[in-house]
Amino acid sequence: MKVLWFHLMPYPDLPDGFRQDHRSVWVDIDPALYDREVGHHTYHDYLDELEYAAECGFDGICVNEHHANGYGLMPSPNLMASTLARTTDDAALVVMGNSLALYNPPLRVAEEMAMIDAVSGGRLVAGFPVGTPMDTCYAYGMNPLTLRERYHEAHDLVMQAWTSDEPFAFDGTYTRLRYVNPWPRPVQRPHPPVWIPGGGSVETWEWCAEMDYVYSYLSYFGYKAGEATMRGFWNRMADLGKEPNPFQAGFIQFVGVADTEAEARRLYAEPAEYFFNRCLHVHPAFVDPPGYRTEATVRAGVEGMVKQAATGKGRPRGFHSDLGFDEMVDAGYVIIGSPTSVAEQLTHVAEKLNIGNMMLLLQFGNMDRDLTMFNTRLFAEQVLPEVRDLFEDEWEHRWWPEPLPADRRRSPARAPSATEPGS
Amino acid sequence: MSAERFEVATGRGPVTVFAVGEGPVFGYLHGMAGLDAPTPCMERLAATHRVVAPCLPGFGPTPADPGLRTMHDWVAALSGIADACGITGAPWLASSTSAMLALEVMAVRPEAAAALLAIGPFGLFDVAEPGVDLYAVVAAEQPALLVADPANLGVYLHDPDDIEGDDLVELGISRYLRRRTAASLIWPMADHGLDDRLHRVNVPVTLVWGVDDALVPPSYAGRFAALLSNATVADPIDGAGHLAELDAPEAVAGLAAGLVADLSRTR
Repeated sequence: MKVLWFHLMPYPDLPDGFRQDHRSVWVDIDPALYDREVGHHTYHDYLDELEYAAECGFDGICVNEHHANGYGLMPSPNLMASTLARTTDDAALVVMGNSLALYNPPLRVAEEMAMIDAVSGGRLVAGFPVGTPMDTCYAYGMNPLTLRERYHEAHDLVMQAWTSDEPFAFDGTYTRLRYVNPWPRPVQRPHPPVWIPGGGSVETWEWCAEMDYVYSYLSYFGYKAGEATMRGFWNRMADLGKEPNPFQAGFIQFVGVADTEAEARRLYAEPAEYFFNRCLHVHPAFVDPPGYRTEATVRAGVEGMVKQAATGKGRPRGFHSDLGFDEMVDAGYVIIGSPTSVAEQLTHVAEKLNIGNMMLLLQFGNMDRDLTMFNTRLFAEQVLPEVRDLFEDEWEHRWWPEPLPADRRRSPARAPSATEPGS
Repeated sequence: MSAERFEVATGRGPVTVFAVGEGPVFGYLHGMAGLDAPTPCMERLAATHRVVAPCLPGFGPTPADPGLRTMHDWVAALSGIADACGITGAPWLASSTSAMLALEVMAVRPEAAAALLAIGPFGLFDVAEPGVDLYAVVAAEQPALLVADPANLGVYLHDPDDIEGDDLVELGISRYLRRRTAASLIWPMADHGLDDRLHRVNVPVTLVWGVDDALVPPSYAGRFAALLSNATVADPIDGAGHLAELDAPEAVAGLAAGLVADLSRTR
């Protein structure tokens, strides 16, 4: 199993009473809550943590894209990934990802991701989310009716740009380019592996099956709530005649490790409560603009996880009440415990949901740098060895980056020095 | 008074049309809630006219049209629908999103309507007075922004007693699709550049607002009137919201009759 370290980059200084005093962490969050100096330090802390995770031996490090919110400070995951491409050596750089419909022209995504793949020597995983309604329809003003059509057209352009051997013309509905000829091209051939973050729509499952992409269910609500969705995904894959290769699925999970469960409860309760009660405090109006859900999804009665977060569905208690840490643990939102216990729980999750790419949130909420690194190191030293061999002998991972061989790959010159021409 | 329901063929597919009354044709273009049957306002107008009301694509029994993405698409579509259902050249009543569409059509095709009663038209946007964003309030609070009395929204909001099972599911889907279509016309704001085209509308336009319209505040009447060459601003209607024709059918029908009478006098 591939074990990945995922950073959401939450703003760490939302005030006590945020949930009561502010209507939303997204879209119209009060700009006065953002402290510019806190922002400066936060980016350095978070990049340190990602780099530390790579050093500790995680298979990949993950970043993602959100806008106008205190939930995640990454309007541009590519900026973060480009920094990490220079400061890490071996970890996969999983950009989960770029919301394709937001870029005009979307060729920009092909270019920037190709640059990240070039700098990193072929370590990029290209994630292509549609994007949350808060990000796409509200913060970026995309029309919900045409968002998905734009997304799919942009996807086609990016893939053609990465794989075409010649300049070509692209005549889409939303993007028309007489000349498409991006330089650079990705190191990986024919292109970096593509992972699709999804919230449980039937169309996304079918599209991943058709395109042979990884489906990543990015639920905030843990493995117990995710079981039905992943069962639906695998059932649909079986219906379509696809093999149940666990490496074609990803899943996100909050984890807190300590020497004992009691110690884990003491350490991780506050950051977990911060995340669930402040970072997920999204006004319900922003989670379901008319047209964001497809007609098929509406018919299927499937509601996105973000909507669940805002409306309180899937939560043990209502939208307007704070969620307690014990409830989070009981419901499986957060896995905590000793290294042995966490390894057992994660193995159970991976096997039960048939997940080959486990994306872990070892930093969440307002967890500080020291605790994050403690959690990361303990996991890497005592849990990772117990879970990383899972599925490896049974299945081939066809969706993992294929970087240049180490002897042909450049590492950053930590202290660049000038050399004489011809020397 | 018997009502008719029929389909007309257009270049983009069939369109369901409701018609009621006898006499000269009066075109009726519904607002954001769509159209499922002749409305009380249509029935009042039908005392003197044959009121012909196409359901625009995605607003009820006429299927949504995925090819309608831009205002240009909609202008061509509505122009074709008007021709197909026989309202071209007649006076029109148009509400909300349809009032915006009607003005867009009349800007490129001034002969499309003989006159227009425009009720709470979208189409202009002033950042200094943007109105309430319908999509920044929860769904349960949206009906109160459409009408003063939610009972006036009919099946858009209320399940009829005589349907159940799959029909009820389809009604729920229909409601979602008409909300989707309406949103697509005014997302992220209802400004498609109409202010640069309104000067081409040269037929009489009566601008009508419900006093309680929070989506397009009544003050927008002055903005429209300043850009139109032949506009009259009616007194805002008390007890009416954005879809004033649903809240105050008698008053709106009276204004429509007045518009037609003025038209007759000037001809």
